[in-house]
Amino acid sequence: MTASRSRQVGRFAWRVGVLLLGLALAGGAHAEKLTVGVLKLASSGPVFLAQDLGYFREAGLEVEFKFFEAAQPVAVATVSGDLDVGVTGVTAGFYNLAGKGALKIIAAQAREEPGYRLVAVVASRKADEAGLKRLEDLPGHAAAVTQVGSTFHYSLGLLAERHGFDIGKVRVVPMQSVPNVVSAVKGSQVEAAILPATAATPLVNAGEARLLAWADETPWQVAVVFTSPKMIGTRRDALERFVAAYRRGTEAFREAFLAKAPDGRLVPGPQADRDLAIIARYTGQSAESVRGSIPYVDPQARLLVGDIHRQVRWYQGQKLVDPGVDPRGVLDLSFVPGHLDVPN
Amino acid sequence: MPEGQALQPERRPVAFRGGGFLPRTSRAVGAIGFAVVLLAWQGALAAGWISPVFLPSPVEVALALRDLAASGELWRHLSISLYRIVLGWSFGTAAGLGVGSAMALFSLARSLGMPMISALFPIPKIALLPLLILWLGIGETSKVATIGLGVFFPTAIATYSGIDNVSRTLIRMAQSFGIPFGAIVCKVALPGALPSILSGMRISASIALLLVVSAEMIGAESGIGAFVLSAGNLMQTDQLVAGVAVLSVLGLLVGAALSAAEKALLSWR
Amino acid sequence: MKLAVDVRRHAYDDLLVLSDVSFTVADGEVVCIVGPSGCGKSTLLGIVGGLVRPTDGTVATEGALRPGTLNPVTFVFQDFALLPWRSVRDNVGFPLEHHRLSSADREARVSDALARTGLADFAGALPKQLSGGMRQRVGIARALAVEPALLLLDEPLSALDAQTRELLMDDFGRLWMGAGITALYVTHNLDEALRLADRIVVLSRRPGRIKDIVSVGIDRPDRTAVAAAPRLAVLRERLWSLIRDEAASADREMARA
Ligand SMILES: Nc1ncnc2c1ncn2[C@@H]1O[C@H](COP(=O)(O)OP(=O)(O)OP(=O)(O)O)[C@@H](O)[C@H]1O
Ligand SMILES: [Mg+2]
Repeated sequence: MTASRSRQVGRFAWRVGVLLLGLALAGGAHAEKLTVGVLKLASSGPVFLAQDLGYFREAGLEVEFKFFEAAQPVAVATVSGDLDVGVTGVTAGFYNLAGKGALKIIAAQAREEPGYRLVAVVASRKADEAGLKRLEDLPGHAAAVTQVGSTFHYSLGLLAERHGFDIGKVRVVPMQSVPNVVSAVKGSQVEAAILPATAATPLVNAGEARLLAWADETPWQVAVVFTSPKMIGTRRDALERFVAAYRRGTEAFREAFLAKAPDGRLVPGPQADRDLAIIARYTGQSAESVRGSIPYVDPQARLLVGDIHRQVRWYQGQKLVDPGVDPRGVLDLSFVPGHLDVPN
Repeated sequence: MPEGQALQPERRPVAFRGGGFLPRTSRAVGAIGFAVVLLAWQGALAAGWISPVFLPSPVEVALALRDLAASGELWRHLSISLYRIVLGWSFGTAAGLGVGSAMALFSLARSLGMPMISALFPIPKIALLPLLILWLGIGETSKVATIGLGVFFPTAIATYSGIDNVSRTLIRMAQSFGIPFGAIVCKVALPGALPSILSGMRISASIALLLVVSAEMIGAESGIGAFVLSAGNLMQTDQLVAGVAVLSVLGLLVGAALSAAEKALLSWR
Repeated sequence: MKLAVDVRRHAYDDLLVLSDVSFTVADGEVVCIVGPSGCGKSTLLGIVGGLVRPTDGTVATEGALRPGTLNPVTFVFQDFALLPWRSVRDNVGFPLEHHRLSSADREARVSDALARTGLADFAGALPKQLSGGMRQRVGIARALAVEPALLLLDEPLSALDAQTRELLMDDFGRLWMGAGITALYVTHNLDEALRLADRIVVLSRRPGRIKDIVSVGIDRPDRTAVAAAPRLAVLRERLWSLIRDEAASADREMARA
């Protein structure tokens, strides 16, 4: 009796085991799909690494990239549900959208960090000759940015605070795109401009502009990973796996590009060339220009939470973000442990 | 024959088959239609059919407009844009009238002008903006020039075809009385072309309004176009719709002004 | 004013329109020109009025002008040629504007012309508010206001209905015939020619040549009398026989073209 019974139990257990194995295999074959909006920039490097090195796949995700030209549409497409996750810079427009409860920041991407030069303030040649030599001289002059409320605009605001000049006295002139800003500087049609390093360095080297300052003095959160509250509600598990795989990407990114020797020199990691080639392939840029625009990304994708609060307040002070937006409402800190600079 | 008899005294009334093809406009119907759209819009948001993220409600837009007006922002943006529009439109119209008249009156101008206008008119003026900025800087000149350029072509074409279509006998009549050339142009050709010129102005005024937004894309801190663009960049949809509403009210006003001008100047038709 | 027309040839590109058209008009004489459609009547009038340059030929006038004459050779048009945006008064005043006249003189000329043509009450009206007959009266008033020495009328009545035509023909007699104004008058209508002309120039079909010049030889006021009817009928028959064949073949030609 007992023998036959135990045989029966054994057969049952064996059957269940086969069934579970089948299910697991089926689950593996049907990896969960996520659509991710990114810009073809070196700062998107960690996501590209996570994709190309198979971290997403290993997390049971099938990630599809949608490429965008500007940050704004990524946010809009995430709100509309065309994207599951967005990875771009945070602008005033982003906070206005997020402030309506449409977006949540869940992890960090690029940030300004002392010693990693991303953004420069330059003076046009004419303005330089006319005596615009220091940041403190900016009030009363026109400074070109891509758009009002862009990350460049905030960079200038931080510099103003740090150097103690009134940004209200600087004429901030929107030019819509980086090439437009460049030609305005070349033609001395504006006296100063805030530009990404990739655009500023050639100008300065060619003698067509003079470097006033790098904007790396104050660490601040330039770009983030975000999603919609609806996604968090319905597909939290997939998002958690996405963030975990993404953090493997940020770690690989740090190892390859961000390590420094004690004297402050960058020391490329063992896989730097391979990873550079991957990022170059995804961005469609040369390895050389990718190398020149590698930003600092927190290796564990931790956010500078205090800076997000400061950004919202600053934009609100400039009347670029609606006064009702609460920075706490745009953040979901539960996906990454140990966020930095969290205000109480 | 029974058929012949059937045809005989039967009375057949002639059915009415005229009418139609005479649409009339009723202001009341227009206003009611507008109100219905606004109510439906507000209702759809209130009922939650449309997310407020995608579309601000009419009330929000009205509040945004009120704040803009109260803070003086609206007037600041509007005045600078109106300045650009008026200046650009005036230059474009003056040049268009001159070139269009010359093309209608002189063989040399016609031979040169026709192919040039055909070649240059279809170029989107927005595409020329970077060039205009290189030549003229990011100040007022390039913005006024963008609008002026957009206004110039339709005005030149309207003037040209208007004068070209002035009845030949009127010209011959004036010549037969020994009226000098300049007086014939001013007193016969241009007034005769006025209907065409005014309908050209209807188009060019709308183009000026369209182009003020493009002209203020680059290097403008104020102006209703710059305001709309930055509201778009900042995702301040209530401000965006408020700015667009201001533009369309401007369009309505210009249209009404032109209708009044047509009524006053073309009553002779 | 006397007029001598000598058009040897006139062609539009390859199309020969007039050939050897020579005649003279005496001072104060009214000469009608009749001929089939397209034979060059309007062209001839344009040449006489200096609006068309003849390929080969000359036109000359002779005789002293009265001091008030501003535009010696003046047209009256078939389709009136009024400026639609100007009132009746301003249409009549239009040709006066580039002459150095005192404004009183100018106004006097305009109101005189309006009074003579019976338009005084319509001075402020726009052309679109007037009947066809009234509009042609404006055209005539405009011509009278410059006190012409030679009137060139190109089918001035052909756009009007028969009754209006009768009334205006009466006006013509009253307004300028016998007032020393010479006139060249183009018409399709033989009765009109017989009623108004001293002589009638008959043109052949294109290229227009002079087929004949017919003198009416009846005093103008007598022509409406019953007694003149038989003689007019004979003249009409003669004119018609000159024109009929020409008109018929011109018509066929038109149909083919
Ligand atoms: N400007 C012009 N260029 C070329 N051809 C012309 C021009 N004016 C008239 N013609 C031609 O010359 C011929 C004579 O024209 P015209 O108008 O003088 O005739 P008409 O006798 O006045 O005709 P109708 O009785 O129809 O008024 C016509 O065949 C016409 O097509
Ligand atoms: Mg004719």
